[in-house]
This record gives sequence, structure tokens and C-alpha cells, in this order.
Amino acid sequence: MRLYPFDLVEPDTLAAALDALARLDGEARLVAGGTALVPMIRLGLVKPDRVISLHRLPEFAEVRRDGGTLQLGAMARLADICTAPAVREGWPLLAEAARRVATPAIRVSGTIGGNLCYAEAASDPAPALLCLEAQVRVAGAAGGRTVPVVDFFRGFYETALAPGEIVTAIRVPATPAGARSGYVKFTSRSAEDRPLVGVAALVVRDSSGRWDDVRIGLGGVAPTPIRAPRAEAVLRGEAPGDATLRAAAEAAAREAEPLSDLMGSADYRREMIRVWVRRLLTSLRDGARSA
Amino acid sequence: MKLELTLNGRPCVTEAPGHWTVLDLLRDGLNLMGTKYGCGEGVCGTCTVLADGRPIRACLVLAAHVRGRALVTVEGLERDGRLDPLQTAFAERGAAQCGFCTPGMLLAAKALLAQNPAPTVDDVREALAGNLCRCTGYTKIVDAVLAAASGAR
Repeated sequence: MRLYPFDLVEPDTLAAALDALARLDGEARLVAGGTALVPMIRLGLVKPDRVISLHRLPEFAEVRRDGGTLQLGAMARLADICTAPAVREGWPLLAEAARRVATPAIRVSGTIGGNLCYAEAASDPAPALLCLEAQVRVAGAAGGRTVPVVDFFRGFYETALAPGEIVTAIRVPATPAGARSGYVKFTSRSAEDRPLVGVAALVVRDSSGRWDDVRIGLGGVAPTPIRAPRAEAVLRGEAPGDATLRAAAEAAAREAEPLSDLMGSADYRREMIRVWVRRLLTSLRDGARSA
Repeated sequence: MKLELTLNGRPCVTEAPGHWTVLDLLRDGLNLMGTKYGCGEGVCGTCTVLADGRPIRACLVLAAHVRGRALVTVEGLERDGRLDPLQTAFAERGAAQCGFCTPGMLLAAKALLAQNPAPTVDDVREALAGNLCRCTGYTKIVDAVLAAASGAR
């Protein structure tokens, strides 16, 4: 079965890509790796007249440490992010989450920018980037701007991008010194499923063992990927015992707004948030994972 | 649009419309029917081919995105009329039943063995996680990949 017969545009500069996107004749869509857009076209969810490919923009593919910051071009492949030594050493939480996206061949094509722009609520990298407080670089006809990733997701498959804007890069600040972090996902059927629940967490302990920095990101449990501030507040300043970890997991389950779908009901998702938040936090406390 | 690439070790110059995927190019443009159309959404894995040695879904990747790259399909696995050790192991170990998933299984396994010549069972299962078989189950497929790996060492 063929795709809807769009015209493919392959600009080799950002300016040309912005021009192609700004044209008003018909609907235009950007394509990075194609792992999200192509199925949407095949299912008839979108019928673009013009598809603008970003694969000729070389700076879009970079994975680079820039001082203490990780600079990811929007077209950086998930497979490259999860194997890059700089990411594994400096941002192990992101490497771990990127490595859990779908299956190997999808990670070879799929990009970090495409993953964020698709705004899938059950994204694997998004909860990690929320914990790492990443920033999204956006280019438009009027110039560039930076959007914190927490403000990038606006609603169900909806982002902060205005018409005509393109995500060019993701900047990830340094992982806090001494942080422990991890990403776990629960899929109800098989590996290629989106997570029913995905949990990223990053904690920093002070010298007395209290958690003075606690960040929890959740995927698949609300219309967008979210932070879990109430769960974080339960833990901040604590040297958590099992009861405190259970209370934090309960807070996360309560602040989520899960949807029901074919993979699981809202109630089931809430229960799985309790289970997986508690398990991840327990393993971080007990030192089974570290950054 | 014009496309130049390397296909199964040989230079290939061809034409394809911009909305074609790699799978359209292989099956309809180049008459290579070994690569199968399964789900069309990147889930089942039977359209897996190698691009510069790494597995991709031919049904998801636009043909324009393999311009200048080296593609390997199941037709490119044999050398001088001799099957690849993976193909031999699949045949000898009964790792194919209806055969529809086999091209994708072989290429996903080929990519694994190229970067990890001595995989564990878990390595094989992870590498094949995106390839679905609806006939036999996976035990014989995993056995065949491990046998090919140990035979090649």
C-alpha cells in the first residue's frame, strides 16, 4: 500500500526549510526519521501535500558535549544517543531512556526531535528530559527561541510550536553531581509497545543521606509526559523509608490523569504508576542504579 | 527523483517518486520481492533491511533517505551461490515455518552478529524484539542465530 502522494522537499539549509514550511499552498509536514509521520500518513490521519525532509541539514544530526551541556541536534538518532560515550557517561538517564524506545530498527531511524514533536504522551525519552530539565531550541521566520521541555508539551499530541517553526536542537544541562537516576517502563504486551507507564527519576542525596534534589518524570499517564511535583515534594528533604516511598508513589498515582485505551484502563494505569514509581525509587535508594 | 545507492554490494542508479518508501523502491521499483510488506507501520519487522549495516524498517523509511547509502536485502545475503551461515542455520534448525518473517529475522540477526559476534540468548532476543513470528515461536529462531554465531567463530 502506497503512501498518500505528497511532494517531497529536501532543503539543504535551515532558511530553505523554513521557507518551504511557510508557504501557504496546501498542508506541509516535516519529516525526520519517519517512524511517526509515515504510519500517520499510511493510516490516513494526515494527508500532507508537501513533506519537508530535514535529513540534508548536517548540524541537525550532532550529538556533542559542549562544556557541561549536552547538545543534541533535532535529527540525532535515538540509536546514536543511547550508544554515544558522552551521553552514557554524562547523561546516563537519557541514554537509558533512549535505549528503551520501541525496537532496534526504530531507534536507528527515529530521532530525538521527532520524538518530542510527535508529543506522544507515552514517549520514553520525554520523562528523562523532563527530569534533566532540557531545553528545546526552536527556529522560526522571526528568529530563534528556547522552550523548557516542561513547557513544550501543551496537550494531547500538541506542542508549543507555532505554525512555521522547526525544532533545531535539544540542550541538556549537566546531570547534577552525585545524582542517581533510572528509567523503567512497563509494557502490557511486547517490546514494541509504547509504555503503559514510563517512569524516570533522578535523586541527589546530601551527606546525611537525605534527598535534597528529587525529580520524577512520567510517561503514558496523562495527556502529555509530566513531572510529578507532589510525589517529589513527599520525598524532598527525606531519607526515605519504605513507607515514604509508598507515599510518594501514591502521590504520583493521584496527580496523574491517566486515560483508558486498548492497552489498559485508567485504573490499571494508576495502579501500575504506584508499582513502578515505588520500584524505581526503591532501587535508587538502595543503590542498584547510579549516575 | 533520481537515487544513487549501493544495493547488495553493487552500484544502483534508479528513479522513484518522492512519496515512495524503501519498501516501494525495492519491491515495485527494483523487483526485489524478498523484502515483505507486513504491517506497514514498523511493528512486525518483516520488511527489515540493512542500511550501512544497521537495521531499518523499509516500510517507514523514505526512499530519499537511503540516497548514497549501502542497502542489503535478503537477496544480498548469499555469496557466490552459497547461503549465509545464518540462512543455513535457519534451514537446518527449522527456524522458518511459513517463512514470511524470515527475511526480516535474517537481516536483524545479521546486524547483531556484525557488531556482536558472540551474543548471549538475551542479546539475540533483544536484537529480534522488533521481529514478529506468528508460526513457530522464537525458540528455534534464537537457536539458529546462536548456532550461526558459534559456527562462524
